[in-house]
Parts: sequence; structure tokens; C-alpha cells
Amino acid sequence: MQQGVVMKGVSRTPGSSRTGKRRSYGRLRLVTLLLAFSLIIAAPILNFRYHIDFIQGWYQSVSIGNLWFVSPLEGLETILTSKGIYGPLLVGMLLPVVLASLLGRVFCSWICPISLLSELLERVIRLVRRRRYRAAGNPLPRQILWFVLVGELLLAMILGAPIFVFLSPPGLVGREIMLLVMFGTLALEGIVVILVLIMHLVSKRFFCRYLCPLGALLALLGQRRQLKVEVDHEECVQCGRCKLACPMGLDPARQEGGSAYCWNCGDCLDSCQVDALHFSWGQK
Amino acid sequence: MAVDRKRRRFFKAVALLGLSGRLWSVGHEAEARPLFPSPVRTNRLRPPGAVPEELFPLRCVRCGRCVEVCPYGSIRPLDIRNGVFAGTPVIDVTKVPCWLCMKCVEVCPTGSLQKVSQQDVRMGMAIIDKHSCFTWKEEGLLCHTCYNVCPFKETAIKLQAMKPVVVEDKCTGCGLCVHACPVTRDDGEKAINVQPVYSFDAAGSGHEGR
Repeated sequence: MQQGVVMKGVSRTPGSSRTGKRRSYGRLRLVTLLLAFSLIIAAPILNFRYHIDFIQGWYQSVSIGNLWFVSPLEGLETILTSKGIYGPLLVGMLLPVVLASLLGRVFCSWICPISLLSELLERVIRLVRRRRYRAAGNPLPRQILWFVLVGELLLAMILGAPIFVFLSPPGLVGREIMLLVMFGTLALEGIVVILVLIMHLVSKRFFCRYLCPLGALLALLGQRRQLKVEVDHEECVQCGRCKLACPMGLDPARQEGGSAYCWNCGDCLDSCQVDALHFSWGQK
Repeated sequence: MAVDRKRRRFFKAVALLGLSGRLWSVGHEAEARPLFPSPVRTNRLRPPGAVPEELFPLRCVRCGRCVEVCPYGSIRPLDIRNGVFAGTPVIDVTKVPCWLCMKCVEVCPTGSLQKVSQQDVRMGMAIIDKHSCFTWKEEGLLCHTCYNVCPFKETAIKLQAMKPVVVEDKCTGCGLCVHACPVTRDDGEKAINVQPVYSFDAAGSGHEGR
């Protein structure tokens, strides 16, 4: 598995990189996010109004027919707090864990409803401010993410109550949608989602970068992932656009696309004017 | 030797202290409150097949699939005012009772709701308040509403001398009788109420603990 296949984001013929038809990962990702979001809107409507129970849940546990998913962090927390293992739970966690260890934090950037809300919010901010949204720079050291994960798991075990399961922002989005569709009410804890979005004022994706324990677990699983953003040093002109574009405050030009913190959203590939960045599969 | 005796005396003292502490605490054990008191109470019950309440909030991932799949809207998630129980499902039988369709049990990914047949469901036990029940108060009324709506009529509830009597080891606690009962007491409860008697006793719940 060394020197794996190189997947080019762009067909690269000399001189045509600027004018050639570009594949936009940003647009593709927005479509995926919207599809993933429509799933959690459709689930309560189909279940409650039409009694079609083919899909249920949101991104804490989703079922599509007989295919069940359980979010790895929520699953791990219940195992730790209830001190028991339930087979179907493990099976539900299997696919997300495999996905994360092959592709990294792609759940966060391509599926998570908080990501969609953040993306839309960023678009609104850009529209209002009419200038580049303050993006680069890390107000905090990135390693905080790991402490949040360990601290969260320890706190859950000390309290004897899984914490992330009822305060998980992606889960709360789903729960609020369900409450709205089924009972016409909203729950108070939805304020957490608003707080997470307000954190955008500090930096892009502040919560995802530093505070999301689920993201931390997925990043940990994906530390030795196959899919990575790689930079072609011969092509790179050090313009710094990718660093500005990166929602996680990474610098792909300095090979930070291979670090655990990268979530493979592809925004840097879109921003690169000389096609020096590409997704690669396999260990180098 | 002297050291040894001293040590022995020390251990004896420790043991005595420990014992006295133990004795002292016996009287207070009944008052020991859990860190997070459960939101389950009269007429507010866990869905069918729920594991004991000591385990339930630890296991449930609050995914809401039982809430979504419930065709009657019986199951509702609690909100953050219930602290760590936020997101866990409860059935308020005075609002919408449970028709025992058992769909919620099918979809639970964590085993918080365990497979159980309809007649083995023990969400609680209906208890008739003979001081407020029309028929028991003997005002000349013959209200048999609870008897009529029970899904296990003549098994879980019977008529004795024209008065409804709950058969304690057959009642599933579905709450259809509570919902239908025409009497609402001053405290908001009905003349027949479901008590979650099985929720807090792991041994007697009838379900596997883990």
C-alpha cells in the first residue's frame, strides 16, 4: 500500500489549469450536506405523518431500512457509563468507525448538520460583510481537541451519565427538527446549537476545531487514514490561499493536510490556483 | 511484641469505627438520594421493554428513534430541564397512552428497550384510587370505563361485584385506563393511575438487567 493511487481533483494539462473546467468540491459538499440534512427532516415526516418507518433518527443513530448506524462517540459513552456491551450497538458503530479510519473526519465536513448550518452562516456573513471572512489563524492550540475528548469521557464516567448524547450539537439539530415536525414545539437545549454558531465570531468552525468530542474521536480514528490532501511542492507557489480557505485553520501547503486535524473537505483544492493540491489514497 | 499489640489494637479500633459507621448508616440508607433523581413517576413511564431505571439513562443514546417510530405520538423526549435525562423517552399516559404496538422496541439500537411480548410488558401497574373512583365511591354510578378500554380485559382487569379490580401480575401499565378515566383529581391524577413499580427494582422488573 505504498505509493498509492493519486486522485487528481482537476484534469491537469500544462497551462490550462486556470481556464480548464474545475471540479468544485465545495459545491459537491454542499449538495451532500443538503442531502444529509434532508434525511433528518424526512425521517420524522415519513414516520409520523405517513407511518413509513423505513428511515429513522438523526446522526446519533440512523437507520436506513435494516442498515443501522450508531455514532461512535455516543456508543462508546454508553458502553463506558453502563459498563456493558450490547451487540447490535457495536454492529451499528462498525461502519462509521471503518469510514473514519479510512477517510478521516469526513462525517464532520460532508454530513454533519452543524457543518451545513455553519456553511450557510458563513455564506450569510460573507454576503453581509462583503469582504473576506476572517479565517486564518488559530486562536487556540489545536491540541485542545484531544483534551476535550478525554475530559468529556472522564466526566461522563464520573457523573455516570453520558454527556455528549444529550448535548451533542448535531444530535440536537435532529431532535429539534423532530420535535417541531411531530409536536410543534422546540426544546430548550437547542440553544447549544445557537451557541455553537455564535462561536463562529471567534474563528471559523471554532466548535468543530477545538470543542467537538465526536470530531476528536473521528480524528483520532482517522489519524492513519488513507485519504489525504497532499501538496505538490514543485507546483506550489506559496500564495497562501489554501491556508485562508481552510475552515480548520490548517496550512495545506506545509503538508498539514495529512495531519489528524484535516477533515478532507476539499476547500483547499478549490482555492488552489495552480492545482498544487490533490487528494491521494494510501500511505506515503 | 508491643508493636504487634499496638497494631492489633489499632485494627480493632478501625474495625469498630467501621462497624459503628455501618450501623449508623443503616437508618439513613432509605433516605439516600441518587445524584440525579429519575423523572419517571406516576403516569410518566418509560416505553415498553425498558431496562431498569438505574441503567436506562446510562444506556440510552437519546437518538429519538423510538419517538419517531411511535405511530400514536405517545413517546416524547424529555428536555434539558430534566438534566442528564434530557432526550430520554417517556410516555405521559394522561396525555397519550401506549397501545403496545411494540415498534419502539424494534428500533432501539442500544438495548435500552428490550424485546418483550405484549402481555409481558411491565411499564408500571394501574392502581385504582377507591376514594375518587365513581364506582367505588358508591354514588350509584356504574362507570366501567377502565375495564372497557383495557387491552387485556378480564385478564389484567376484572369486575368484582360490578367494581373494577386490577389483576396486579397481569397489568402491563399501558395507561389506556388512565387516559380514559373520567375522574381527574385536584392534584391532576386520575381515579386510576399507573405507578412505575417495576422501574426501580432491577431484580423484580422481569427484564434482563443487562
